[in-house]
This record gives sequence, C-alpha cells and structure tokens, in this order.
Amino acid sequence: MKRIGLIIFGVFMVLSLAACGSNKDSSTDGVIELTLWNDWTEDRPENTVYKEIIAKFNEEHKDIRIKVESIPHDQYETKLRTQAAGKQLPDMMRVWPGARTAPLAEGGALLPLNSIIDHWDGVIPDSILQDYALDGNYYAIPSNISETSLIYYFKDLLQEVGYDEFPSTYVELKKLIQALNDKDITPIALGNKSIWPLQSVYISTIADRHTGSNFLKEALNGTVSFENEQFIKSLSVIDELTKLNAFNEDMNTIDEAQSRSEFIKGETAMHFAGSWALGPIIGSVENLDNIGVAPFPTFEGGEGDASKISGVAGGGIAVNSNLSDEEQEAAFTFLKYYYSDELYQQLVKANIIVPADVKMDDSIPQVFRDANSYAQGGLSPVYDATLTPELTDMINNGLQSITLGEKTPEELAKEMQKEWEKKK
Amino acid sequence: MHLTKKSKVAIIIGLLPALVLYILFAILPIIQSFYYSLMEWNGISDMTFVGIDNFKRLFQEPLFWSSVKNNVYVVTASVLGQIPIALFIALLLNRKLKGVRIFRTIGFLPVVLSTVVISLTWSLIYNSKNGMLNELLRTVGLDGLTQNWLGDTKWTMFAVLVTIIWQFIGLYLIIFLAALQNIPEEVLEAAKMDGASEWVTTFKITIPMIWSTIIVAVILCISGSLKTFDLIYVMTNGGPAHSTEVMALYMFNETFSKLNYGYGSAVSVFIFFFSLILIFIVTKVFKGKMI
Repeated sequence: MKRIGLIIFGVFMVLSLAACGSNKDSSTDGVIELTLWNDWTEDRPENTVYKEIIAKFNEEHKDIRIKVESIPHDQYETKLRTQAAGKQLPDMMRVWPGARTAPLAEGGALLPLNSIIDHWDGVIPDSILQDYALDGNYYAIPSNISETSLIYYFKDLLQEVGYDEFPSTYVELKKLIQALNDKDITPIALGNKSIWPLQSVYISTIADRHTGSNFLKEALNGTVSFENEQFIKSLSVIDELTKLNAFNEDMNTIDEAQSRSEFIKGETAMHFAGSWALGPIIGSVENLDNIGVAPFPTFEGGEGDASKISGVAGGGIAVNSNLSDEEQEAAFTFLKYYYSDELYQQLVKANIIVPADVKMDDSIPQVFRDANSYAQGGLSPVYDATLTPELTDMINNGLQSITLGEKTPEELAKEMQKEWEKKK
Repeated sequence: MHLTKKSKVAIIIGLLPALVLYILFAILPIIQSFYYSLMEWNGISDMTFVGIDNFKRLFQEPLFWSSVKNNVYVVTASVLGQIPIALFIALLLNRKLKGVRIFRTIGFLPVVLSTVVISLTWSLIYNSKNGMLNELLRTVGLDGLTQNWLGDTKWTMFAVLVTIIWQFIGLYLIIFLAALQNIPEEVLEAAKMDGASEWVTTFKITIPMIWSTIIVAVILCISGSLKTFDLIYVMTNGGPAHSTEVMALYMFNETFSKLNYGYGSAVSVFIFFFSLILIFIVTKVFKGKMI
C-alpha cells in the first residue's frame, strides 16, 4: 500500500511542476488587462512622460488596465525576438521602424493598425508614418523622430582656432580638424565600441550626401551596386577622418554614452550624434549658450540633397495580432488616447523631437530649436533601419575595420555587394 | 531482498521530478537545437528544411574559424595559466602562514565578483588614454610599452586572456586548497623523517596525491573556456573588427542580432561536439596517469 502512496505522490509532484505554465488570466470582473513591454528603464524625462500618460489612462478608464513592464534597452530587442520565436509576445510592445520591425510584421505577429490610422490624419505627416508601414499596412504610431546625424560643438573652442561659425563644407571641416589638432584639442569624441555610431551617425548622412536618397532602395532591389563610386567615396571619408586623427584614440574601446560624457566634460571640441544626445547634453552642460548644433557639412560633387540629414521615426507601440476582439478594441482605445497632442507637448518639453507640429514657447532652448529645424529639410534614410540585419552587421564591423586599417573602403563595398547577391 | 526492491522504487520516484526538469530544460533544448540546425528560420516566420546547408556554410565561413581559433586561445590560456598558477599559490597557502585567511579571501574575490563588474573594471584599466596600466607604464618611464590594449587588434586577445586567467584563478585555488588539506599529515611527516626535501615532497607526494583533483579542474577549465561569453561580450563585444570573437559570441550574434536561428543552432551543435571531443581526449590522455 505504501508503494502506491509513493507513486501517487511522485505523479502528483510531476503534474504540479508541469502545471506551472503561464496561463493568462481571463479578464476578471470585466476589466481588460493589457501588458505593454517597453525599454523605459532609464531615468529620462521622456520615459517619465510615457509612464505618466499611461497612469492617467488607467485612472480615467476603469474597464481597461495597461500593465507596464520595462526591460533595459540593450536586452530589450533580444528578449522581444526570443519571445517572438517562442510565440510569447505581450499584448503590446515598443518597436522600432523599418528593418527592425519587418521580421515581426512579416511573421504575422503584429496587428495592422489601418482601421484607426485616420485618427492621426493631419497630425503626423504620412512620410513619417510610412516608416512603420509594410506592404500598405501600418504597424505602429511613432511618438518621436530620431535625427541620427547632428554635430554638437563648443563655440568657444572653435573660436579659439578661428571659427565663428561651424564650417558648411567638408573641406572646411577638415581644416578645422587640423587646426584643433595643432592646438592639441581632440577634435571629435567618438565611442564606436558598440560599432553602430560610425554607420548610423556618420555614414547615413555622409553617404546620402554622396549618393542621394534613392541609393539604398536601389541597391537593395538590385538596380545599382554597393560598389558604386559615390558610395565608396563616402566610406573613404571615415578612413580619411581617422587618418587625420579626428577622433580620440580610444574610440574603439569606449561606448557611445562614454564618448558623449567626454564631450560634455569639454575634453573634445565636437561630438557627432543623434537627437538622443540633446536631452543629456542640455541637462548636463554648464553653459548651454556655448553649445552649438550643426547639420552635416556638404561634400563637393555629391549627388544628394544637402539640406537633408538622416533620421527615422522613433519608437512606437505595436499590437499583438493574437488579441481577442474585445482586447483589440481596448488596445485601439489606448493608442488613440496615448498618441495625443498632450504626449507631443510633454515630449518637446523633455527635449524630444516629435513628428507632430507643436508650438514652442520661449522656455525651449535654442539648441533644441536648431536641431528640430534640421528635420524640416526632410529626412534621409538611416542605414540600420533600412538594410537587412546581415548587411547592417557587415557595414558596422567593416567601418570599424576601416578605422583600424584592416580593410579598405573598396573591400567593404565589395563584401556588401557579395552578401546582397548571395541573398538574392 | 524485499527491502531493497522497495527502496529502489522509492529512489526512482524521488528522482522523477528532477529527471523531468532535467529532460525538459537540458536534454530537450539540445535536441531542439539539432532540429533547428537543419532549418532556415528567422525565429518568427515558418521554417524551411535545408538539410546540412547550415553546416556547409559554417565550414566555409572564415569569421567562424577565427572565432574557433580565439576559443582555442582561451582554452590554452586557461589550462596553462589558471591551473599552474592556482596550484602554485595553493601550495604556498597550504603552509602554516600568517594571515592565510586574508590571502585566501583575496584570491577568491574575483570568482565572487560579477563578470560584468570585472569586465568594466578591466576595460578601465586597459583604457589607452587614462587607464591604470598605461599610466603605470608612463610613471615608471616605460612609455614605449604603452598600448591601445583593447583597441589594437594585435593586443586585444592578449588583454582579454589576462583578465580571464585572473578571474578564475581563485576558483581552482580553493579546489586545490581543499584537496591539499585532505592529505593526511602522517604521510608528509613520514617523508620528512625519511629526509625528503621540500621540493621532493611536493613533486613526489603532494601533487600525485591530488592528481585526480587536478584532472577534474582541467576538465572544468576546458568546458568553462568553451562556453566563455559574458566577459568578452561586455569587455569588447567581440571587437574590434572580430578580433576577440569566440564561438559562443559568434553564435549569439548570428542567432539574435542577424536572426539566423537555423545557422546559429548549427554553431551550437558544433560547440557541443567540439567540447565533447576535447573533453574525451583529455580524459583519455590523463587516464593512464591517474592514481
């Protein structure tokens, strides 16, 4: 008899362990609970804005509850992809445009938002909504715009070497770098350990100035080759800047945030970064009037539109395609509430560039207004938001190899073309 | 007879929950990896069967082979660095020394520290502009020896290996110390009475007596080195220009950054067999020498 008791005990143990799976709570007492994953872990003003609006939504809607789960940024996308592979995505999730959302959308994991997209007619320009569109379906609404190529500089350091204004041509920029080096001032703070800055910040605009904005699209559908002369010329700019000693010598061993703090400390004259650096710079520089922001200089003989800088719609919220009708309705209600004028107003106050047209009062610093104005010339595509993951990885690593003298621009272009042909 | 039979059933039932968990979370994923390695899959859309194409690609990929080479460096440095140094320190600390406890704690400290902390600390030490190592060299007038340790492909692997060795010495130190303290006093006293020198006692008695512990340490060391990932991931992320990429990092990037789940699984399968074969060879080689 004892033996039977033991067997029953064992079986019970196994069953109780197996039953630990995650069964979703069915909505109790009529409240629909929706989980929203995001990367708002850092203590940044915009993250507070996002969370506050959600808290307000929860307060005003008794029948819907948005449950926020934050995951640190660097792990966020990995987690999202792993969970997508296991078909365990949350009800809503923060996503990024273009190639980063495409696999999720193509795999049918995301719900098209076409039925509610009219809600933002006249609020957000269609050209920016398009960053989240795939085959005519819209998958998320962006809350901000990310300009990826801005040049921040110290006005006094530039004056010291005789520049009252930021150079507008590349030839002039090279002279400035030379002049700074002669005075023993490190010209540009670069942190390329994480290998994307040279691609996203530098090449996205430098290449666009050379090749024009249609190049990436044409290269990806095969009408032009990556071995295009203008494209190779743009890669050579990185080589040339490295050889001019434009960067700090530890550029390949520090990350982007570290290089930004070097700049803020005043150890270098310039820092090339995106609009994500605006908030931290405005927040921690002692004398803000001393900071200028400039668009990328122009290149002689380039085929691109020199008034454009690279940029892309920022993070948006996408909806899981496996929701019930009720849950879908609740998610839509939430999105309409969330992407409101109030959100954009608050974001501008937090120094975030937004896609909607927002009135700015005098409390907004000049640097922010300048940076914001560069988006008006139109945005050129950002490489890692457009290229396939393989090509992105290749150009990221390739640019780093160029700075180390281990690869030539021609070799990198050839490699990319070969990779593209393989995928065809 | 009846009694043992009954307890056997009890043992089996007692083991069952652990066994189920082990199969669920260790064996099954390995089998799944084998399955995925035959597929082309981006992790989200449908899989397509491609047979051994992933492996064919793997063997033709120069980047993969350079990661294998770097892994071999890690294994060699760990086995030839960590174990002898740990053994040496353990032999020293096994004497009646004042403050042994403090030394033991200091030696073990790196093992307790989180790898991320170690990686960031060493990144600072190695920084070419204001890192401690270069500062030190400059202070003593050896300016010519300063290097861009983590930024120059000639030096990065070396710099990373030093950190890896440093990190794990403490672990083997404690294992060896435990083994040394289990050697019966009488044996050593007898040797002393026979007039054996310190040197002879160490090499003819002490080390042979803990030989099996040393072999276990070597095996732990090899399997640990083949899995090495976190330290390099934080310190250099495999860079610059892939110069410190190891197999696990290559697998991670392929699978999660480039969304090649099938190809990434093929790399995992390769790592699996590579470890198995290496450990098999080591046990065969050392078996004869075991006491």
